[in-house]
Amino acid sequence: MEEKFSNYGFYAGFRENKLSLAFQGMISQDLLSLIGLSLRRKNDNEMVAKRLFGLVIELAQNIYHYSTEKAYSEKDKKEVGVGIIAIGETDEHYIVCSGNRMDSRKIIPITERCDYINNLDDDGLRLYYKEQRRNPSIADSKGAGLGLIDMVRRSGNKLTYVINDSGEQFAFLTLAVRINKNFGTLEN
Amino acid sequence: MEDFYHPPDHFIPEIRFNASTGELSISGESFHEYSVEFYQPVFQWLRDFLAIPNQKITMSFRMTYFNTNTSRRFLEVFDMLEEYEKNNKGCVTINWYYKAHDIDMKESGEEYIADTNVEINLIPYVV
Repeated sequence: MEEKFSNYGFYAGFRENKLSLAFQGMISQDLLSLIGLSLRRKNDNEMVAKRLFGLVIELAQNIYHYSTEKAYSEKDKKEVGVGIIAIGETDEHYIVCSGNRMDSRKIIPITERCDYINNLDDDGLRLYYKEQRRNPSIADSKGAGLGLIDMVRRSGNKLTYVINDSGEQFAFLTLAVRINKNFGTLEN
Repeated sequence: MEDFYHPPDHFIPEIRFNASTGELSISGESFHEYSVEFYQPVFQWLRDFLAIPNQKITMSFRMTYFNTNTSRRFLEVFDMLEEYEKNNKGCVTINWYYKAHDIDMKESGEEYIADTNVEINLIPYVV
């Protein structure tokens, strides 16, 4: 980085995409707690704030465990994933997205998994969630499996993924999901 | 047997297990990155506790948020309690408290009812 670096590029990009929050770096638990707090402060709809937070958590955990870019966490005493978490909005939706470097060999399994989940209806999602939650072969893995299904169920929308693949060892994965600002208004 | 207590933190629930009264409770938030590691001592205590027959146990969940990783751990707790009842070792009551209007937390409780063979009482509360 140059000392005379200008943040204007970020600023302009954030404004253009209506990003209200963005973070790049090591995704620690403390950071996630802070994001949760700021979402609750900003949002008058408690359910939407909670769901947004849930989406951030599941995306963050994907980065934490699966990003191929790592940094050493003094607190956890181990290497943890580095990536980007951002929240943007349109008039009707919030959009939560993550970005991280990934192993190019995982491109096909990840896209197949997202496509599979995106093609399930509500009942299908429920059953798949139930089955995966009971699946002993993945029960001890680092949270794999349930997060993506939960994101679709909680948001009521499909997953969007963009993979920047340069044909090298690593690709870059952007995962996003949107949630209706009025979704989940308080009910009895 | 000694009681088990874990104080709450931003991403860790408060866990209060009273061995003499059989009142066990988990409350707050749970989104630890390493849920298996975090819940390991909790399960160890539960295993020891459930080895003692003829107890009247009340397990209460009062969660405001938990991640998918934690949801697996809770399923394991239900399975352990189910085992205890099935073997006629004692009496188990499970209460799933949810903040009134929190339809997601209520739904989580309903799904545990559907996905397990234990009886779970869904109880709304007003803050």
